[in-house]
Amino acid sequence: MGLPRKDRIRAKLKADNTTVRVLLSHPMHTGRAKNEAEELIPAEFIQDIRCWRNDEEVLTIKCGTATARNPYFSFQLVGGEQGDEITIRWVDNLGAKGTAETVVK
Amino acid sequence: MTDDIMQQRRTILKGAISASTLALVAASGLVLPRQLLAHWPKNAFNAETVEDALLALLGEADIAEDSALNFKVGSPPSYAINGASVPIQVQSELNNIERIAILVEKNPFPLAMSLESTPAMLLPFKSMIKIREDSPVIAIIRAEGKLYKTSRFVEVDIGGCG
Repeated sequence: MGLPRKDRIRAKLKADNTTVRVLLSHPMHTGRAKNEAEELIPAEFIQDIRCWRNDEEVLTIKCGTATARNPYFSFQLVGGEQGDEITIRWVDNLGAKGTAETVVK
Repeated sequence: MTDDIMQQRRTILKGAISASTLALVAASGLVLPRQLLAHWPKNAFNAETVEDALLALLGEADIAEDSALNFKVGSPPSYAINGASVPIQVQSELNNIERIAILVEKNPFPLAMSLESTPAMLLPFKSMIKIREDSPVIAIIRAEGKLYKTSRFVEVDIGGCG
């Protein structure tokens, strides 16, 4: 927690719409897996992801434990132009947070 | 005699005061993080059947299958070598999508993710999910107040819910 993570985000203008791709860096432990010492690894997973385009909130994703490790998301936004700022913020079940931002190309 | 009663009264008062102080402390500081996370629909994500999850999330579970959704799971479709990371894609011609939910029927907790979208968002939506064993995977979209559902059966070689 608190360490810088490598969250990646790309946004590209394609046929008048913006394609956003996000790759977060997170272990997404479900709380049911065991480590080498046969001890349960406590649950640690992203619960809430929000996406903004220039101060306008465009999408909220709530995740359960069934979201794969290092979550990947891709979606489109209506319209948009080069230079729009896309921001992602996430919070996990332990309260750890992260942000990622990019500019539409 | 009266002294005794006064003594009792004092103890009771003291007890009441400390109890209310504790309640105040709890309300101000300790409960706050929980309130911040309160918008995470815990009941829906902790439900153990598809029906319970849908009831908690959408308020209804009886949804007819609809061909308005184009839903792909696995690569090649309907097959996954590694259940820990199965690609999904939701595509549809529907407008004004308000919500998308992805559920894996045989997972310990079926609800995998729930999107609250705005008119600014367009499909396709792609992501990766975990699937424990061969199971139907369900996609549900709420658009213009109506619910659409579709499901795909996926074969998984190595279960991925560890």
